[in-house]
Formats: sequence, structure tokens, C-alpha cells
Amino acid sequence: MKLPTLRQGRRFWWDTLEAYVYLLPTLAVLGLFTFYPFVNAFIYSVYDIRTRTVAGPVVHTTMDSTTWVTPLARGRIPEELADALLKRGVARDGLWVRLRQADRWVIKDEASAQEYIIVREGEEIRVHLATTGWAMESVGWDNFARVFRDPDFAKALLNTTIYVAVSVPTTLLLALLLATLLNRAVRGKALFRLASFLPYITPIVAITMVWAWIYDRNYGLLNYFLGTVAGWFGAEFNLINWLNDPRWTKPALIIMSVWRFMGYQALILLAGMQGIDREYYEAARVDGAGPLAVWRKITVPMVTPQMFFLLIISLIGSFKIFEEVLILLQGPGPQKSALTVVYYVFTKAFDSGHYGLASAASVILFAVIFALSLFQLTVVQKRVHYER
Amino acid sequence: MQRYRVRADVYLLRRGAGLLVVYALLLVVAVIMAMPLLWMLSTSLKDLVQALRVPTPANWIPKPAFWDNFPTAWNAAPFAIYFWNSFFLAVTTTVGDVITSIPAAYVLAKMKFLGRGFLLGLLLGTLMIPGQMLLVPSFILINRLGWYNTYWALIIPWTAGVFGIFLLRQFFKTIPDELWDSARIDGCHRLRYIFQIAVPLVRPGIATVALFKFVGSWNAFLWVIIMTDKVGLRTVPVGLRFFMMDIGTDYPRLMAAATMAIVPVLILFVFAQRQFIQGIARTGIK
Repeated sequence: MKLPTLRQGRRFWWDTLEAYVYLLPTLAVLGLFTFYPFVNAFIYSVYDIRTRTVAGPVVHTTMDSTTWVTPLARGRIPEELADALLKRGVARDGLWVRLRQADRWVIKDEASAQEYIIVREGEEIRVHLATTGWAMESVGWDNFARVFRDPDFAKALLNTTIYVAVSVPTTLLLALLLATLLNRAVRGKALFRLASFLPYITPIVAITMVWAWIYDRNYGLLNYFLGTVAGWFGAEFNLINWLNDPRWTKPALIIMSVWRFMGYQALILLAGMQGIDREYYEAARVDGAGPLAVWRKITVPMVTPQMFFLLIISLIGSFKIFEEVLILLQGPGPQKSALTVVYYVFTKAFDSGHYGLASAASVILFAVIFALSLFQLTVVQKRVHYER
Repeated sequence: MQRYRVRADVYLLRRGAGLLVVYALLLVVAVIMAMPLLWMLSTSLKDLVQALRVPTPANWIPKPAFWDNFPTAWNAAPFAIYFWNSFFLAVTTTVGDVITSIPAAYVLAKMKFLGRGFLLGLLLGTLMIPGQMLLVPSFILINRLGWYNTYWALIIPWTAGVFGIFLLRQFFKTIPDELWDSARIDGCHRLRYIFQIAVPLVRPGIATVALFKFVGSWNAFLWVIIMTDKVGLRTVPVGLRFFMMDIGTDYPRLMAAATMAIVPVLILFVFAQRQFIQGIARTGIK
């Protein structure tokens, strides 16, 4: 930086002060809720962090464990428990099972935020008042070692990689073709914009519910459609069990993701194509280039900046796939065929309460995304054509 | 002359045929893109018997239209609370984000100060952090702040955002410096200048930022299910998930609920198409 002269200098320092005052709200929020957790993600990854629910005084005992275990395992409140707590003035509506383990359940009452822990020992069931707190203990690289040894994590990483490796290029390629078509069309762009933008802005949970219905084996739209097309060609079609057949869960996720992002990406590429100077096309036409050559040598290279941008954001975005899995498959899918890294992190942290382990897994996810982004910024970007 | 006309005719004919193919292909794509949403709408207006019929084109139109799914879905879960929460959170986070982003974007676009380059790099860098990586530390932080199961947890962390800052920065950059110079000579304070003179000039940019933020907030799901476990704090997407777990595969009612969740976004989009498109066009240029 060029050093300012003394008079300019004073203004420069005043400006600096003023600038930081204006930046303060942004920096405070980002600092507390982005940078600080970011640093903590690394720190927590070498700790064993758990919430520890400590049992207090006993409020109810029973020997009739069988009528308790079945509902509890399904996340429901046993009748007897509801009655016992009702006597203590706790309404049934607010009760729910917060934690499910083999012989231990934590029930929470929403109204009073009071927790109850249920412990089973043989035939006996005891209900205690409970309090929950944090416990942290340094464990070095243990979390990473455990994550790497966990076959579930390997599976999650593989599933996610397959999903990303197929859906990202497919979406981008289709978007490129679509943008080319749109660039040719004179009318009807507004309507098309609406159709292609909607999947992108609609709530993912709602839209995934719609796809769960489309993928329904017996009554779903997709199987009907495929069956009809197969019928035209006289081919035999066996109904695909999209959501319950481990071979088809990943394709189901991929199809949905292509559908969601193709239109959006096409619109970005179209904006790029419309910015291309007409002169290039005219020069090419004078030189006698055919439409395909023009497309390959002018259109595509000129939108490489947009393609590069889309590649980066869709790679980062695709690695984070989670909601789709949760809503579409209501779990990691048959044989964990749709277990993704974020799903793994989510269940490890918020179902099993292994927060340190989950942190280690998310650090690994970050490392993968970071390495890929770095690779793109250094290697791939060299092949991007920037004007000027 | 004659030959020229013939060539022109052939050219037009070929071009016409080409366009026909283009439009045919576009039509197919548009139908595929719109189909899931139309299917949702169609199913939401059927009773269970109609919904389980083979979806031949004729069966797409519900006969007769069965409107009951909407009230029964609405009453089967506290959707009024869900909608209020989503609306409230979308408005508060949008207002917060816009208010913090305006001065930050202006400063980064127009002022020279120590650490500007570093800050720009830092903010750009945050775009590379996958939010999912921050879930566990954020969850612990929110608990330590005592914000678990409060609106604070759902609002404050989302009152600043890098997307808005960078988009607005591009808009602020187009304002000539002379405007500030003359305002300053007239004794106008910078903060007043930003909000009273510069902001009206970048209104389209602000509308775009606000829209994207609003829709993003409306769709919030993962953060909400992690930071809260109260029915009273559920947003529409979170409520939808619990609704789905409750009623299983009663698809007509599920589709009615999904339609209700999508309609507000749809209305917003129809009224503010230009801002959305602008947001898209801008994000592509980097």
C-alpha cells in the first residue's frame, strides 16, 4: 500500500475508524456465529464432548418393563408414565422422548423444560428427575481414528462422493444444453424462467415430500411414466422400488437434485451467453464455421467463467446434502445406501450425543471440500476464459 | 436478385425448422420442470381413492375436486403457529440482514481504510465454509448462551450475511464519488448520506437481497430442528416434517400441506420476478 501523506494520512485514519464502526454489526455477528464456531469445530474435534444427563431423585418405579419398552423404543410415552407424571401436574401433550438408548431414555416436558430419565434394570423400571450438562475431555486424535475406522463413515463418504460425482457434472451439462436452447429461442423465455426457477426457490422439505410421492413404487408418477415409455417400445418394465431398494436410492437423490438445480444453472449460463459480443458470431460465420463449431469454439469458452462459478458452488452445495435424505428416505436408506457425510454428522451429534466425534467428521468434510475448491481455483481456473 | 431470394427462403425455412425443434425441446423440458409441482397440486385436490388411481393424463384432473384436504391438513397440526413463526423469522432476519449489510457494503465499496483488502478476503473466504460444519460448535454455543429453544437462536445468527454484502457492494460501486463529495461539502454526515441518498439509488439491489434472504429464511429447516425442540418454535418446513411423520403416506393431505408451504414463496416470486432474475444474473458474474 502506498503510504498516505500527512494530511491525507489523518483522513485515512479517521476513515479507518469510521469504516470499522459501520462494519461492527456485521463483524460482530459473523465473528460470533461463523468465525468462532469455525475455530471451535477444529478444537472440539479433539475432545470427547457429551451432554451428560445426571439422574436425580426417583419419582416412579414399576416392575412391568414390557409395556414400557415398546412404546419408548418408538418414541412414544407409555400410558403408565403419562399417568404418573399427570399426578405431578405434568401435562401429557408436552412430553416427548428426547434420547433413546438400549436401557435408558430421556423424556422431556416442554412446558417446564424438566427432564426425566428412565432406567431399565432387568424387569425394573425407574423414573428419575434429571438434569443435563456438558462434559468435555481431551482425547487427542481419538475421534479421527474412530471416524476413520467406522465403516459407516467410509460408506457415508463414498455415497456422498458418488452423489456429487454424478449429479454435479450431469446438472451442469444439461444446464449448458438448456441454456443453448434458450439462447436460440426468441419468445417464451419469461414462462420458462418461471418453470426453471421454481424448483430452486421452493422449500426443500416441501418439494422433497412431493418427490417421495413421485417415487412411490405402486402409485408414483415416475414408475407410471417409465412403464408407459417402456410400453411404447414393447419392453418389459419392473416397478422400481426407488426408496426401498439400495440400488435406487442414490439415483433417486440424483434425479431430484438435477431437477432442482438445472433450471437455475441454465439461467446463469444464459445470462452469460447473452453477454457474448455478436461480433464473435459474425466473424465465425464469415469464416464459414458451422453451428456446432461456433457453439464449441465460441459459446462454450465464453461462458466458462459462469460454468466455473457454478461448478464451485454446486460442488460445495452437493457435499452438504442432508435434508433430501432425511425427508425422502426418513433415514439413511436401505442398507445405509443413502447415508451421507452430513447425515452421519447429524446423527452422531444430535441422536447419539457424540459431539466431539461429529466435529471430527465435519472437519474431514471441510478438508475434502477445501481441497477440492483449492484444486479448482488453482488448476481448473487456468482453463477458464476471462475476457480482458 | 432471384437467386438471392431463393437462398433467403431456404435460410428462413431451415431457421424455422431449427426454431421448431428448439421450441419443442424447450417445451418438453418446461413440462418436466413444472410436472412435480403440478402433480402436487393435482394430488392435493383428490381424495385418497382418486389419488391411488393410475396417473393417466385423464386422471390428472381431480374429478370432483376435493378441497377437504386443505382444512383437514391445516387442522391436523398447528400450522397457524408454523406459518407465524416462519413469517416472523423471515421478516426479522431480513430486516436485520439488510440493515447490517448496507453500511458494511457501502464501506467496502467506497472507502479506503486499513485492512480493507484483508476483510474482503476474509468475507469471501466465509463463502467457502460449509455451514453444516458449524452445526456442532454452533449448537454448543447457542446452549452456552442460554438461547436453546428461543427466538434469539433463530434470529441473531442470521442478521448478517456475506451474500448481501457482496451484492450490495456491486451496486454501491456504481454511484459516482462526486455525489458523496458534494453531500459532504453541504455538511451531510456519512451515515445520513448512506441511508438517505445512497440507499434509494441502490433500491433494486436491496430488494434482491431482501427477497433472497426472505425466501432462505422461510425455507429454514436444519438450523431450526437443531436449535429448538418446541412445537411453538417450529417453522413451516420443520412442521411439515413432523406432519409427515405423523400422518405417514396420506399423500393427498401431505400434498395439500406442501402446497400451503410453497404458495407464499410462489406469490412472492410472481410479484418480484425481476428482482430474482437480477439476483441470478449478478451471482453469475464474479
